[in-house]
Amino acid sequence: MRAAFQIALKDLRLRIRDRSAVIIGVIAPLVLAFIFNLVFGGAFTPSEGLDISYGIVDEDRGDITVAFSEGFAQSGQFEVSGYNNRADAEQAIEDGTIDAFFHFEPGFTQEVLAGGSPQIAVVGDVDSPTSTQIAASIAEGFSISLRTSTLALTTAAALSGSPITPDFIASVSDPTAALGSFSIADLSADTKQLDPTTYFAAGMAAFFLFFTVQYGVLGLLEEERDGTMARLLAAPISRSAVVSGKAILSFLLGLIATTILIVSTALLMGAEWGHPLGVALLAIAGVLSAVGIMGFVAALAKSPEGAGNLGAIIAVILGMLGGVFFPIGQGDDFLSNLTFITPHAWFMRGLAQLSGDASWTEALPAVGAIMLFAVVTGGAAWTMLSRRMRT
Amino acid sequence: MKPFSIAWSNVRRMLRERSNIFFVFIFPIALILLIGVQFGGGVDPIVGTFSADDGDLSQEIHAAIEAGESFDVIVYETEEALVDAVELGSVQAGVFLPAGMDAATAEGTPVEIGYVARPDGFGAQMQAIVNSIVAEVMMPVGAAQYAAAETGQPFTTALAASQSIADSLQVSPVDVSYLGEALFPASLGQFDLGAASQLILFVFLTAMAGSAALILTRQLGISARMLSTPTSVGQIVVGESLGRFGVALVQGVYIMVLTLIIFSVNWGDPIGAIMLLIFFSAVGAGAGMLMGSVFSNDQQASGMGVMLSLGLAALGGCMLPIELFPPTMRTVAHVTPHAWALDGFAELVRRGGTVVDILPELGVLAAYAAALFALASWRLRVAITRP
Repeated sequence: MRAAFQIALKDLRLRIRDRSAVIIGVIAPLVLAFIFNLVFGGAFTPSEGLDISYGIVDEDRGDITVAFSEGFAQSGQFEVSGYNNRADAEQAIEDGTIDAFFHFEPGFTQEVLAGGSPQIAVVGDVDSPTSTQIAASIAEGFSISLRTSTLALTTAAALSGSPITPDFIASVSDPTAALGSFSIADLSADTKQLDPTTYFAAGMAAFFLFFTVQYGVLGLLEEERDGTMARLLAAPISRSAVVSGKAILSFLLGLIATTILIVSTALLMGAEWGHPLGVALLAIAGVLSAVGIMGFVAALAKSPEGAGNLGAIIAVILGMLGGVFFPIGQGDDFLSNLTFITPHAWFMRGLAQLSGDASWTEALPAVGAIMLFAVVTGGAAWTMLSRRMRT
Repeated sequence: MKPFSIAWSNVRRMLRERSNIFFVFIFPIALILLIGVQFGGGVDPIVGTFSADDGDLSQEIHAAIEAGESFDVIVYETEEALVDAVELGSVQAGVFLPAGMDAATAEGTPVEIGYVARPDGFGAQMQAIVNSIVAEVMMPVGAAQYAAAETGQPFTTALAASQSIADSLQVSPVDVSYLGEALFPASLGQFDLGAASQLILFVFLTAMAGSAALILTRQLGISARMLSTPTSVGQIVVGESLGRFGVALVQGVYIMVLTLIIFSVNWGDPIGAIMLLIFFSAVGAGAGMLMGSVFSNDQQASGMGVMLSLGLAALGGCMLPIELFPPTMRTVAHVTPHAWALDGFAELVRRGGTVVDILPELGVLAAYAAALFALASWRLRVAITRP
């Protein structure tokens, strides 16, 4: 076993001195996580990305429409500006000042008070369908609340057999009480989904990990090609020590790179990885699965170049399918199940389970799944590579 | 003639490598397919629902949510499964209908419907939509509660009255209309957006990957041996550049033609599209040459190449449409040649432009290519002739 560690340490020094492992293992994932976060993080974070501005064209200026405008302005959820006429508001959409506007025609309030239900027009920028839909459902909600009050009053009048006169309205309580038949409560759920920063940091770490560990297992084939393997085996070193030496090297390279990435993205970019113990277990399992899979690839290949190329293909396919660049699948469709044939997806799922201050045990199912990949591929690789050394 | 034979041997070298076949020809198409399936055709948000019982109100609300057009609905059997699905992002929001809604409303007790969304993207929007759907169902219920309280009649009588009045009430639709020309018109094919961005991404990536071949050529002493033949440094530089350019162009034409055939991707005016591809391939070749002349370790160069190609592609709008960038990022994006090439394709595909309309984009790409080649050939001359 001592021989195995010595081989691993010697190679580790070599690999660190050759900067390519550093580029692939640390610099590339770090830079890409930073760029992806810059590009995608900004676009998808509601506070920055969904800055919604609405306009209101109130040609009625009655009690109801004014109440709508005031309530809207007070909600503070959106930027609201008033326009005198429709043409101005349309111009504002074209200038990109607002995303959509509400239009109340003259006589709106009067018509509502007379028991009618006048139309509210919502005009949106064709390129802001989301904001326009929100505006439409706000208008819809407002219109329904008006109708509910009217309906409440009409029903009460019908039941008491009196017409809706000003006297009747004065005799009953405020019909807006009818709106209180239900409420929608925001249940707070823990967000078990990674924020964009952590998502991209984790995704890039997982993606490049598979390339980083290659520097270890490929060394076996390089020694074979360069003829140093025969010399190693001539020394009083067991075959398994040589194979495990390279496996240990792969593991160390992967673990060092992953640790640096986790710590540096947490410090530099504010990535929130979750409970350290859970993260550590996921990282170790992840590195082991990468060593196993890349070892298996090396066992299949004839030359280090071939293993490198095949490894790159496998790493890219697994990474893409595992959702390291963008989430794969939606709802419970085919792709969202397929993604779990990759350790990458389990790694991301495990981290997601840890988010929101969850206990480290939340990561255990994912750790188990990743270890399954590690044991199966690693076992196969071990058998094949040891047998190969014998010939 | 010599530059061409150097170029041709470069193209053949690339094509003979089996893993290149995957990365150059199979992977881009697979990715365009994956992205088209994942994001094309509009992503409808999904709402999960859970009903604690199957009372009348519960069923009614549920049916109204199912009938909504703004999202897809998945029904969950347990509360935990729905919470999990929301937390893990399989659905964007969850609606929880509590047990005993019918009994509660009959007593005049307000019912509380649970709503769960993650704080990203669609949460707020969908709550407004769910709210209006529920409000519509609850309208006669609320009116009946009010009327029952005001008149002292039993709730069931009031509900029957309010429901019949509600049915006769004139419904005022909210009239929604849109202004302006659609940035991503409905006619835009499922694969159209992804195809142009992936074309740009991969042409650049492949050209950058060529830098490793250039370094090997120098390392193995091939360029030194070429110099010993009556071949000038200039011819070698031009030949190697043409090689990178040829590889990029072969891949670009392949992606264009294949996506046109299997996904019927609309590339717009063919001459304009080819011109964009040629100019962008030149930019990629220039960048690859620069990498190949600055680095002297092929593994380092390929690592940096992957990093730069993916990074520039993300910044340049190949992974997220540039129209969705915040304004500052949009300016930053135009530092990359990718953004200019994508602008060109947008002009051709979405606005039906021709070569004349993309002259500014072509000009910028030409400037990039010229600058990169100038820099690269200067560095390469130094690298090749260094004793």
